[in-house]
Amino acid sequence: MGLYLIEDTAHISSFALPSIFADRLPLYKEWHDFVFYDRRKHLFSFLNFGVYGNPYDSKRGYGLALLFFIDQRGRTYAEMKTIALRDLQVSPYNPDFISEDAKVLYSKSSNLFKIKGQIGKLACDLKLPVILPPVSSKEIFLDVVKMHQTINLGMTRAAMEMSKLWDNWAELPRIPVSGEVTLNGTTIPIDTRTGYHDHEGGRFDWGITWGWDTGVVLCDPSSRKEPEKIEFRFYRWGPSDKLSHGGIVIGLRNGKQKYFDSGNIHIERTGRFSNEWSVVPGITRLLYPDYHPDVPEKIVFSASDDQDKLGITFTPKGLCSIVAASVCGEPERVFNEMFCSATISGHVGDTVYDKTIPSWFESVRPRGSVKHYAVEA
Amino acid sequence: MPLKLKYFLDELIEVMKEDHQPQLQEIIEEARGITCLQTLDNERAVIQIDRRRIKISGKAPKKQINVRITLSRNCLFEILEGRITLEQAFYSKELEVLGDPVTLLRCYRIWERIMSLARTSARITFLTYRLR
Repeated sequence: MGLYLIEDTAHISSFALPSIFADRLPLYKEWHDFVFYDRRKHLFSFLNFGVYGNPYDSKRGYGLALLFFIDQRGRTYAEMKTIALRDLQVSPYNPDFISEDAKVLYSKSSNLFKIKGQIGKLACDLKLPVILPPVSSKEIFLDVVKMHQTINLGMTRAAMEMSKLWDNWAELPRIPVSGEVTLNGTTIPIDTRTGYHDHEGGRFDWGITWGWDTGVVLCDPSSRKEPEKIEFRFYRWGPSDKLSHGGIVIGLRNGKQKYFDSGNIHIERTGRFSNEWSVVPGITRLLYPDYHPDVPEKIVFSASDDQDKLGITFTPKGLCSIVAASVCGEPERVFNEMFCSATISGHVGDTVYDKTIPSWFESVRPRGSVKHYAVEA
Repeated sequence: MPLKLKYFLDELIEVMKEDHQPQLQEIIEEARGITCLQTLDNERAVIQIDRRRIKISGKAPKKQINVRITLSRNCLFEILEGRITLEQAFYSKELEVLGDPVTLLRCYRIWERIMSLARTSARITFLTYRLR
């Protein structure tokens, strides 16, 4: 059993269902994300279990489960299932998400998550023990202020964007995963230390966000050649990349953290992603037969300040595009969930890095204009 | 047991009247004059759009029918879940659509509207899955 119970952080320990008297109930959305990569089996996984719409209106609220995998040959597998609220159990008292097709159970006695699900030809049966304390958005913000020592305009804008969206946001920065995954009848045993979990929710329409880039480099805690962790987060308040702010946090082996602010980071995107990809919901393929996600072939973060210099080159290997429709008739938002290889080079303090590590990169953007198309609500 | 086609269409119109009245009105305005014979597996239903409403019935005079659509439940869900494209369904002859091009384009716009609504309306999604 780990030292840290997830209930130590209020927002991660349960579905924070809003009060029945709360405003904007039809815009409520909340989910668990679980990401992991098994280096021996070369299997990437992104699992999402969420509740959408008014949770007290069984006709209009619903649950959603998504299973997404990329196998060693780079093939993508994605299945999504909409779940009626009458067939779904979530509560404000524990983080469980229980339906016939997919279950996320948190066991307090053993301090671990159990995930069991089967959608179409994809299935998983996994155990994820909690070994690190949960971190909430407030703690991250305080950490960043502590490391950066000042608050600039960009930080304020990004924090405003985050607070506009999320009522709660928390993560488990590292979570081991064991069990098995079944892809079209082939069962693959999983045993990895490089997993990640986050849990967030809010009451907003997809149309109000310009998107964000977030992700984690899935570092191996036992490898001395890799940092303890690398996480990044950039929030946008306008259509241009210039109208965004964020940073990269590098956890060092000595327990210290290094923070590079947007002001010290140059981001370059080149080429066009051409590997295999999936899109959900499947109806998107029917509505936009020629749609191709706007994802580059490479994304390069070049960070440097007076003391340190680090470059991270993300190469997307596989992708799942999740198209989220706005209920207000605004253009849809696309969640590009990418499995990347991240090549890290440079130095932080005395530690020199030169290593390629698997990573998860989530890039959210407006899908584009829906002029002349379908519904104008 | 899967929902019957005619019952599904009646329910769909009821859900749209309740939750998506403006979109329903726009569909009626755009599709005025279309009479579609819809075949799903062995079931048939006639969808008639007149000036004010959409009427679902079991039959209509042959001369009035200006669009005919035939597909199976299996094909419908293969398309809806993105496993095959409309083009693939046409070429495999699992989906047959007959009618003059202008009327078909008008029909396509209506399907687009309903499919797009289904992405934000759990009621339409669940109702559709009761067809399977």
